[in-house]
Amino acid sequence: MAAHADTYGRRRLRAASSLLDAHIRWVLVAPAVLLILFMTIYPLGYSMWVNFVNYDFAIPGHRWVALDNFKTVWDDPIARHALWVTLGLSAAAVAVELVLGFLLALAMLRAFVGRRMLMVLFVVPLFVSPVIVGTFFSLILTRPFGPTNYLLGKVLGHTVNIDFTNDHPWYYVSIVLADAWQWTPFMFVILLAGLASISDQLYEAAEIDGASPRQSFFFVTLPLLTPIVLLAVAFRLVDSLKFFDVIYVLTRGGPGTSTYTLSYYLYEQGFQLFHLGMGTAGSWMFMVVISVIAFWLVRRLLKPVDAVSA
Amino acid sequence: MSDEIPVRPEDFEEVGLDPDALFDATMGRRDFLLNTAKLTAAAAAAGPFFLAAEQAQAARAASTGGDPIATTVINAATQNFKGTNLTRISEAGLQALEPKNFSGPLWKQMVGGNVSVVEAPFPQIFTKSVTEHIAKSGTLDVIDASPAWIPDFADRGVIMPVDDLVAKYKIGATFNDLHPLYRALAKYKGKTWGFFADGDVWNLYYRKDIFGNPKLQKAYKAKFKRPLRVPRTWDEFNETAAFITDQMAPKVYGAGEGRALGNPGNQFYFFQTFRAFGGHLYDPATMKALVNNPIGIKAMNSIMGELKASEPGINKLDFVSSWVLWLQGKTAMIYAWPPTGRISENYAQRDKAFAFLPKSKVVGKVGYALMPNRNGEHAGSFVQTVSADSKNAEAAFLYNAWITSPSVSLQVVMLPYTLRDPYRISHYKSAKYRSLWPGAKNYLISLAQAANYAVIDPIMTGSADYANAMDRGMTGIYAGKDVKSGLDGIAKEWDAITKRLGQDRIRASYAEFLKLPGATSKNTIAALGKAVKIT
Repeated sequence: MAAHADTYGRRRLRAASSLLDAHIRWVLVAPAVLLILFMTIYPLGYSMWVNFVNYDFAIPGHRWVALDNFKTVWDDPIARHALWVTLGLSAAAVAVELVLGFLLALAMLRAFVGRRMLMVLFVVPLFVSPVIVGTFFSLILTRPFGPTNYLLGKVLGHTVNIDFTNDHPWYYVSIVLADAWQWTPFMFVILLAGLASISDQLYEAAEIDGASPRQSFFFVTLPLLTPIVLLAVAFRLVDSLKFFDVIYVLTRGGPGTSTYTLSYYLYEQGFQLFHLGMGTAGSWMFMVVISVIAFWLVRRLLKPVDAVSA
Repeated sequence: MSDEIPVRPEDFEEVGLDPDALFDATMGRRDFLLNTAKLTAAAAAAGPFFLAAEQAQAARAASTGGDPIATTVINAATQNFKGTNLTRISEAGLQALEPKNFSGPLWKQMVGGNVSVVEAPFPQIFTKSVTEHIAKSGTLDVIDASPAWIPDFADRGVIMPVDDLVAKYKIGATFNDLHPLYRALAKYKGKTWGFFADGDVWNLYYRKDIFGNPKLQKAYKAKFKRPLRVPRTWDEFNETAAFITDQMAPKVYGAGEGRALGNPGNQFYFFQTFRAFGGHLYDPATMKALVNNPIGIKAMNSIMGELKASEPGINKLDFVSSWVLWLQGKTAMIYAWPPTGRISENYAQRDKAFAFLPKSKVVGKVGYALMPNRNGEHAGSFVQTVSADSKNAEAAFLYNAWITSPSVSLQVVMLPYTLRDPYRISHYKSAKYRSLWPGAKNYLISLAQAANYAVIDPIMTGSADYANAMDRGMTGIYAGKDVKSGLDGIAKEWDAITKRLGQDRIRASYAEFLKLPGATSKNTIAALGKAVKIT
């Protein structure tokens, strides 16, 4: 009887061990998955509920309001303005960073004395906190203490009196300038890698075929660099759509609401004024906008891959 | 208000309050030497109180018999809450110096518990307190709340009323010698929600040397056919400021208020000027915002006129930067919070905490006057409140009662690094305070007078939303937006806020606010016949 029990126990142990062996991978990832579920799915689900109720510090209760939160954000002229500012600033910043990054990459493609040192210096802005970047530009641009007007006056030979964070359109220029200062190195690094990966033999072949440098650039360099450019633009565009830090420090969304981006608007609604229902609904709408843009970009990126697979 | 307690001199004496007795100037040589030795020893052992050793000793003396209210609460705290730690949320920077360097360490010495200070920029005290309340974290015990936030905090359960505890400890007399303007500011819906702690009334500070300059006087008279004098109306202020700027810029500008968003908050400028011109914020019948009516346009144009006479770029400078310009002698007139008077005389700069401010170049040159049109803003300010989620509510109450008790509060407002300003009759009359610099007596008298005529911040539901819309909208007007359309935009936002919060709720809240002294220029303390005369 005891022997039978002992055998049964060992069989059960073996069965349990086999089960564990078969599903060990799920056991190992379970803690991470649970953490992710708790940290993302639960808040997402909760925010879904907040979208459709009144969740406002100043108004008691959490009554069901259906789509009122979405409608309030949609009808808010400040939200609409913030959307256009976001799209405009992102497009302008990414365009400037792309052009400057490309020019820098071209300049640094061939080896020269001091190239490595210069490359290190070029990427330093990437490691600076955006808040510091905003503060730095605020200090140098803001009248009357900033030196920019003085230096411009010396260069141009006449008095310059621009309020860079208060005059239209200079506050947009200031924001794009601050962002470009920080993120051009990102474009530079990616584009330099892309340029370096193009084989010299292709240029030699083009030269043999009688192509001018200009033709080589347009018919060899650009086509081969396009996927890299798309990748860099995709990363930067999705990131720049979340413009917040520099805006917060440099202009605080002002003057008035001129430099309100969607992120800043949602921050104000949700975390300063505690209109959490509006803030949450706006965030979901913003996520849809970013998703559409990201989806389009990824499709463009994957087009060559799909063509090759086909 | 039916529960208004009239000011009676005997109230002050009744409870044996004579803070100045702690600084008896008629002591003999033996006592002087003995006290000096005690002070020196105290200073040496004072640690964080080194430059405030005198105030620390006085506060200790007040808490151990000198002041019945301070003594009562300290004894109760020591008996029942010894070693209890408290967390206080305070405005970041200079405001937080006081709990960190004075009341916190003193409380620790006497009661044994730590006072941890959480710092936040002024608008974020509101948001952080609300966040902690929503999360029910119980992290905060003491909240330095602006009176304007009390309706929202009270209605939403962020803070607790203190009437029961005031009755329990029998310290109701602590409210007796508050300036009448401040008595009602901690009250809402018939309950008391904390202890008023900061007389943040705006005053006009002007350069006596500039106004007394014979050449300027002659030129002014030639232009305006009247003598150069401290302006009494906003029109005169703008004319005078523009004149001084024309004559003396870029060395000196006529006016110079910092106007960065949220620092200090442009809504203060508008509320003050608008109500000085007789404006009302809402139509009580329809609750439509009236800030864009002709009075609003006049007020905003007046502010824009002032801006033209100010240093270029000042609309992006924060409040401290405008102080820097004032201390460097670049501004002829500034209207601002009471610390302006102290820093003008280098009183505050004695402390290393104020090392970021330059030494004053206008020592002895500053005069004090009522605001143009008389009605200055009582802007911001603080009430010491107890968080409703606090796990140490009674200890927090005792701490608040202690630091705002007559004698201890006098030491607080006399600290070199304090931003807390006089608010009690005993403060204005204090011989010790009046001896701090040659003009201190006039300074205190002017603060009391300013409080007699002051208008208060809108204290009503949604005040943070309305203030934010006004502040933001004004920066747009500074940047070039048309005044009328800018104010129309602000009024539209205000109406949207009213609609969202509920018109009836806002109507009721506004009606409550209108009952408070200083809600309009027609019901200031002076207009109500309750002006305090300090000489």
